[in-house]
Amino acid sequence: MTWPIIVAVAAVLLAPLVGGLLRGLDRKITARLQGRIGPPVVQPFYDFGKLVGKSRVVSSKASMAWAWSYFLLTLTAFTLFFMGQDLLVVFLILAFAGGSLAFGALSARSPYARFGANRELLQILACEPILLLAAVAVYFQTGKFTVCSILEANQPLLPYLPLVFVAVLIVLGIKMRKSPFDIAASEHAHQELVRGVYTEYSGRFLALMELTHWYKIVLLLAFIALFWAQPLWVGVLIALGAYFLELWLDNIAARLRWSWMLGVSWSLGVGFVVVNLVLLSVVV
Amino acid sequence: MGFLARARVKSPWILHYCTGGCNGCDIEILACLTPLYDVERFGILNIGNPKHADILMITGPVNWRSRHVLRNLYEQTPDPKVVIAIGVCAATGGVFHNCYNVLGGVDKVVPVDVYVRGCAARPEAIIDGVVMALQKLEAKKSGGVSYAAGAR
Amino acid sequence: MSGEQLITLLIFLPAVVALGGLVLKGAAAQRVVFVPAMVALMVAAAALALQVLPREALTFTPPVGWENVVAVLKYALIAYFLYVGITARNGLVLGLAGFLAVLLPVVQFGVLGGHVAVEPVFYADVLAVIMCLVISVVGGLIVVYATDYMPAHEAHFKLAEPVRTRQPQFFFWFVLFLGAMNGLVLANSLPWLFFFWEVTTLCCYQLIRHDLTDEARGNALRALWMNLIGSVAMVVGIGLAYNSAGTLSIQDLISGGSAPLVLLPLALFCLTGFTKAAQVPFQSWLLGAMVAPTPVSALLHSSTMVKAGVYLVLRLAPGYADTSLSLLVALFGAFVFMVTSLLAIGQSISKRVLAYSTIASLGLIVCCAGINTELALAAGIALIIFHAVSKGMLFMAVGVVEQQIGSRDIEDMDGLVARMPLLTVAAVIGMLSMLFLPFGVAFAKWAAIGAAGALAGGYIAVVAFLAIGSAAALVFWSKWLGRMLGEVPVVADEKKPVSAYGSVLLLVVGAVGLSIFVAPLVAALIQPALSTMGYSQAFDVSGWHLRTAIGVFPPWALFLAVTAAVLLPALFARGYRGDLDPVYLCGVNVNGGSVQFTGMAGKPVLVTAGGAYWKQWFGESRLTPASNWIAVLLLVALFAGVVLR
Ligand code: SF4
Repeated sequence: MTWPIIVAVAAVLLAPLVGGLLRGLDRKITARLQGRIGPPVVQPFYDFGKLVGKSRVVSSKASMAWAWSYFLLTLTAFTLFFMGQDLLVVFLILAFAGGSLAFGALSARSPYARFGANRELLQILACEPILLLAAVAVYFQTGKFTVCSILEANQPLLPYLPLVFVAVLIVLGIKMRKSPFDIAASEHAHQELVRGVYTEYSGRFLALMELTHWYKIVLLLAFIALFWAQPLWVGVLIALGAYFLELWLDNIAARLRWSWMLGVSWSLGVGFVVVNLVLLSVVV
Repeated sequence: MGFLARARVKSPWILHYCTGGCNGCDIEILACLTPLYDVERFGILNIGNPKHADILMITGPVNWRSRHVLRNLYEQTPDPKVVIAIGVCAATGGVFHNCYNVLGGVDKVVPVDVYVRGCAARPEAIIDGVVMALQKLEAKKSGGVSYAAGAR
Repeated sequence: MSGEQLITLLIFLPAVVALGGLVLKGAAAQRVVFVPAMVALMVAAAALALQVLPREALTFTPPVGWENVVAVLKYALIAYFLYVGITARNGLVLGLAGFLAVLLPVVQFGVLGGHVAVEPVFYADVLAVIMCLVISVVGGLIVVYATDYMPAHEAHFKLAEPVRTRQPQFFFWFVLFLGAMNGLVLANSLPWLFFFWEVTTLCCYQLIRHDLTDEARGNALRALWMNLIGSVAMVVGIGLAYNSAGTLSIQDLISGGSAPLVLLPLALFCLTGFTKAAQVPFQSWLLGAMVAPTPVSALLHSSTMVKAGVYLVLRLAPGYADTSLSLLVALFGAFVFMVTSLLAIGQSISKRVLAYSTIASLGLIVCCAGINTELALAAGIALIIFHAVSKGMLFMAVGVVEQQIGSRDIEDMDGLVARMPLLTVAAVIGMLSMLFLPFGVAFAKWAAIGAAGALAGGYIAVVAFLAIGSAAALVFWSKWLGRMLGEVPVVADEKKPVSAYGSVLLLVVGAVGLSIFVAPLVAALIQPALSTMGYSQAFDVSGWHLRTAIGVFPPWALFLAVTAAVLLPALFARGYRGDLDPVYLCGVNVNGGSVQFTGMAGKPVLVTAGGAYWKQWFGESRLTPASNWIAVLLLVALFAGVVLR
């Protein structure tokens, strides 16, 4: 009982560091891919610090509240994941967190934030089925829905769940807000209806959003790493590879319409998982 | 220098607004983002939302209609913030001097911290202006410094 | 009181009170009678629960004379339906009622050979008791709510012409409904079940047409003929069941093994359940039912009518376990869950969204019955409880909103929290309880997905449907919820009628309380219900965690975390006294509270951002025809699978 708590506490403490560095690498690599030098790797921490120091600008009380809920709920899902709990529970709580972000943006009466919120909901609509099905796929391999069971299994998941892995990569792209899926709140270089769901957040609240984003990315990458948990360092490498694959995709892809995103994630994403599960139950 | 203070000068996000110039300076500002000048080296980002901005980069002589927008953008930018007037028309009206429809300078509407000269201003000069602005930003800390010439 | 007396009381008390209601005029008089009566009903249900829980089940067979009374009443009901068909010149009602009028004697005298004694007539096991509790508590609160709603409703509706009040009739059918439902869930004899089934159909018909507008009459007729399809299926099923299994007792039927010949009547009964539960392709009657006064919708959607449909499917589940019928029921339910959740995204009328969400939840319950493992059935029963509480509450809340702002359109509920803070917060909690995790409904989803995932094969498609459906549910609830929370500069202007608000708030407390204490609930009611139905225990509830063989759900721990995550920031934000800045509008904001910018010629332009409904994807014209056909195909497959076996 003590180990999961130690792991979770360590993860909660380390995740901002890892997430921030990954975002720094992201910006550096993107710059390099565009023939620029790019900011220092620790740039995200500077941005974070700067935002914390800005004066408070609030356009709606409810937005303030939901921003914190977004952060705390993500943190809850994150903690549960690293405590080795039920994957379905983790993903459902993560959906609650995503909903809070949308509620926050909907609460401000800014048309841009609202557009962003609606698109955020579409992103959830695209991601959520894949994540839930991925948890079921994990069950198919390990006989349980818990994160612990993956670590205790004696063979890696990836050879059995390759198509599920591809589907999860689509989710990673959507959650990282990278092209071709960056429709709700785009990254710095792109601008989406001002800044989509983030439009009305500034200063420390925007910093909070950024921090939450780091947690979310680390959580997803950790899930991807679990696809090769024997030994885990292979999985970590795979997760890093997946991360850089997304960066590369971001730089070669245009942003596409939401209907395209839904189409891809439901047909390819859900389809891949289902095919994988069917194959698995036929072959094994 | 503490981390927060250091972060403040390491991460200037720019909002760029044209108050009615010829767009020459605007093109030079955007040139700063290109691989040749790459201002992201200094953590500078061009963003489209005053609520996220630290530095307002204003071009143009400020015509009668855009003055309200400029004022509005300035008010919506959270402190600490600095304003850079880019190009001579943003400083004095430049080639638009004495036109019937312009105020002739950004500082007629909002307090300006740094003037970057040129018609159009060169990217090097613009980057130089940002660096100067950052020094001012650091001095300001959360709006602690009062503006010298707050001509409205 | 003995079990027999309690069963009698649960059925007769509403009937007697309903008759009394016919002479009551005025809210005060109604309240004096109905409130104590409903409390008595709740107490009776609780007392029955206490009697049933220590043992397997209570049985009760009324004296033989009652059989004849019921038989006569049955024919009277069908005669009335015929009369309705003739006077309304509705061919479908007329045809189906006429067919039923021929079919019923044929089955009774041709197949059954007159009277068949069924032992016992009433069978109160834990499942039936849970249903009784839901019906009495949620239904009773809705009756109390209606005493506030109806006077206002009539005042609003009959502004021009002071016609005679129709409230006595309304309350008559309304309260009678509860008695019929109690009888329905307690009945073990199929002929008795059929009788109560028809009484609910009649009550539903009368309540939908209450306002007597053309639309109300038309929709009531639609509800009637669609439900008559179910009645025909049930009568045929009764004949076949007796023919093949030689029994008219539900308990005997489902414990008799799943012989193919018994499966066909079970499939027919499931079809009956689908019609009553308004599953696709029969959804249009429930959507049309929203023309009725809101308490009717609240009642139909939460504790009565549609719940009868899913109750029947769930009740019969042990009878078709491990058959192709089970898989197809699961597929059908999951499909309905998915497609109606998607349809709800495209709706802007609040009651229509609620209606689709009801159909989706019922589909999920049907799906749980089809998955047919102990975990799934636990999820199904939990869903019946939680859905009744949350949905009853939401309908009542929307009714109050409609009476106070004069609209049921979600677009008009922008920033409702500023206008009606108390009710909006209650509604928001109700919505959260419908879609997010630590709450009961989502717990049932968690269990259902887990249970379906645990079975390979055809259930993979079921899981996929469930996954997409639950994401869609998240979207349509969130859109609506977010709209109500917008910051609007208006003064709060909230009237707080006591009965209406009291009922709503009690149910909110119920939804949250039951969700927090879901583990004891499971241990005290749901697990015993499962074991009397012949299933093993689904959960290990030690430490009030819900642990299954395949996963774990820690309700109270999650509640602590989520409450901290949502409540603390809300309190913190409430206490915020700083200024609120205008939103960014890419232009010049007009000073003052409203969201305006200066447009052409200095004129202020009001910024409005409507909701997103993505009709080109989720509109009814886009989805309904195809989904109806797919649902019909699934039903055909369901019967083909049973017949060809
Ligand atoms: S300073 Fe010259 S180049 Fe720049 S905007 Fe004004 S007129 Fe154009």
